[in-house]
Amino acid sequence: MLTRDLVLTALFAAIIVVLGLLPPIMLGFIPVPITAQSLGVMLAGVVLGAKRGTIAVLLVLLLAAIGLPVLSGGRGGLGVFAAPTTGYLIGWVAAAFVTGFLSERLVRREQTGLVQGAGFFVSALMGGVVVLYAFGIVYLALVTGMGFSKAFLGSLAFIPGDALKAVVAALAGRAVMVGYPLLPQRA
Amino acid sequence: MRTLYVSGDSLLHRISPRVKLVGLAALSVVLFASRSPTLLGTLCVASAATYLLLRLPLHESWQRLRPVLLTIVIVGLFTLVADSAPQAGIFVLRLTSLMLLAAAVTATTSISDFMGEITALAMPFERIGLLKAADIGLAVGLVVRFVPEVLARYQAVRDAHHARGLKPRMLTTAVPMIILTLRNADEIASAIDARGLRRQK
Amino acid sequence: MDIRFEQAEVRYDGRTVLHPLSLSLSERRIGVIGLNGSGKTTFARLINGLAKPAAGRVTVNGLDTIADADRARGQVGFIFQNPQNQIILPILREDIAIGLQGRRLSKPQVDAAVDRVLSRFGILHLAERRAHELSGGELQLAALASVLVTEPPILIMDEPTNQLDLRNRHIVVDTLGALDEDVIVISHDLDLIRGFDRVLMFHQGRMAADGAPDEVIRFYRETAVA
Repeated sequence: MLTRDLVLTALFAAIIVVLGLLPPIMLGFIPVPITAQSLGVMLAGVVLGAKRGTIAVLLVLLLAAIGLPVLSGGRGGLGVFAAPTTGYLIGWVAAAFVTGFLSERLVRREQTGLVQGAGFFVSALMGGVVVLYAFGIVYLALVTGMGFSKAFLGSLAFIPGDALKAVVAALAGRAVMVGYPLLPQRA
Repeated sequence: MRTLYVSGDSLLHRISPRVKLVGLAALSVVLFASRSPTLLGTLCVASAATYLLLRLPLHESWQRLRPVLLTIVIVGLFTLVADSAPQAGIFVLRLTSLMLLAAAVTATTSISDFMGEITALAMPFERIGLLKAADIGLAVGLVVRFVPEVLARYQAVRDAHHARGLKPRMLTTAVPMIILTLRNADEIASAIDARGLRRQK
Repeated sequence: MDIRFEQAEVRYDGRTVLHPLSLSLSERRIGVIGLNGSGKTTFARLINGLAKPAAGRVTVNGLDTIADADRARGQVGFIFQNPQNQIILPILREDIAIGLQGRRLSKPQVDAAVDRVLSRFGILHLAERRAHELSGGELQLAALASVLVTEPPILIMDEPTNQLDLRNRHIVVDTLGALDEDVIVISHDLDLIRGFDRVLMFHQGRMAADGAPDEVIRFYRETAVA
C-alpha cells in the first residue's frame, strides 16, 4: 500500500472518530437523534473509494476493540461488540465498501455536478442504508432469536435519519471532490 | 484520549492477553450456541463475578457498561413484546454475560498488549503478501496522533462560522474539516518515507 | 558531503519539472532559493530519493539514489515545512524511537539514543508530552530530533521557518547555526541563508545562479521581482 494511501486512511479514521465526538442532532420530524459518525462511514466510501474507505472504518473498529473510546458517546472496548446493535458495526465495513465501490463506478469527472451528486447519493444509500441495515437487522434477528420481520420493524424508526444522511454524504462528497479530488482511484 | 485499560494486579491482569482473547472467543461461541437458561444463567453469574473481581468503582463501571446495558434492556423488552419471555430471557443473559466478560478483558489488557496480539495475528497475512504487520501499528499510531488535530480543525471551522454569524451545519463544517485534514496527507506521507519508516527490514 | 547530479532530470505528467542538471555539492552550508514552482523542492527531493530522476542520476556520498535507494536515503535527514506533519505518533518519545526500529537495539539503548538527541535540542523535558500540545517551534525541534536520531551526515530543510512565528523562528535559526551536520536549506527567508557557504537559485526548472550568498540573493531580487 502506498504510504500516501495509508496516511489518507488513517486521517479519515481520525475524521470518523471526531464525527463521533459531535453531539447528536435532533431533526424535528424524526423521533431518534442522529449521530454524525455513521455519516462518516458513508463519507469514507464516497471520498476515499472502496479499498481505502473500508480500511478507514476497520481502523476505527480496531481502535474501539483495543480499548479506546472512539465510538459516538465515548464508547469503546470489547464490551461494545456485545451489544445487540453490533450488526451495524460490522455492517459499517460492508457499507463503506459498497458505497466506495459504487462511487468509483458511478461517478465520473466529466459528469455534471448534479449527476455526480446523484451518483454519490445512490452509492451512499445502497451502502449506508440498504447494506448496513441488512447486516444490522440480520444480526439483531439472530442474536435475539426473533424473526427477521420483527427485527426489521424494530429498526424502522432509524431509517429516515440515515437516508437523510445519504443526501448529506452525497452533497459533501461532491464538495470534497471539488476541493480535493481523490476519485477516480489513484490507489 | 483516555484508554479503558485500568492498571492493576488482579488475576485477570496476570493472565496473558492471548489466553484472555482466545478464552473470550471460545466463551462467545458457547454463549451463542446455547439455548439452555440454566447454562446461560450460570455463565452470567460467573461473568458478573469475574467482572466484580476487578473492583472498579461503581460509577466507573456504570459509565462503561451503561450504553451497552441500555441497548440490551431496550431490545430485551422489544423481544418480550414481539416474541416471548423465555426468548427475551435467553437474549438478555447471553449478551449480558458477553458484555461483562468483554469489559473485563478490556479493563485488564493494555493497548500495547492488544497491539502485540494483533501484529502477531497479522504475520501470516504478511507472509502471503496481503499486508505489512508493522503498518497496522503505524496506522493506529497515526489515528491517535491526529484525532486532536482534526478536532481542533473542526472547532476552528465552527468558530469561523460563529464569527460570521452563521449557524454551523453538518454540511458546512464537515466539508472544510475533511479537505483541510486530507490536504496534509502528502506531506505526512513524505515525512514517513523520508525517515524510511516503512521499508523492509 | 559529496552530492553529485549527473544530467539529472525530473518529469511529472509529461512536463519537465527540472531540466537536466549537473553539479557537485560539498559545502557545509548551502542555501537554495527560487520562486514557487521553480524546481527547488524537486531538486532537494532528488537528494533523498523522494523524487526520482527520469534521466541521469544523483549520488549521495557515492551511493546512487535509485540503485542504492535505502542506503542513500539513510545519509539524508529531511525536514518539511509544516511542523505538525512530521511527528506522526502521539507521544514524542515513541515518535523519535520509531526511527530506530529494525536496528536490533535493546530498549535501554533506544531510550538512551532518544534522550541524547532530545537533549541535543534542549527538548528532553518534552519527551513524554503529546505532540498536539507542542508549539510550532517545539515541533520543528522535535522533527529535527526525529530525523537526526539515526545520525545522517546530511540534513535538508525545506522552508523550515515558513509556518513559525518570530520567536519560534529564532529558536530554529539558532539551532541551525549549531548543527554539525552538512545542511542544505530551501528558504524564502533570505536572512536565514545570508551567512551560508553557497547559494543556488532556481527558476522555471533550471538553475539560474550559483555562488556566494550576497551575489545570488541580489540576482534573485533583480530577476524574480521583475
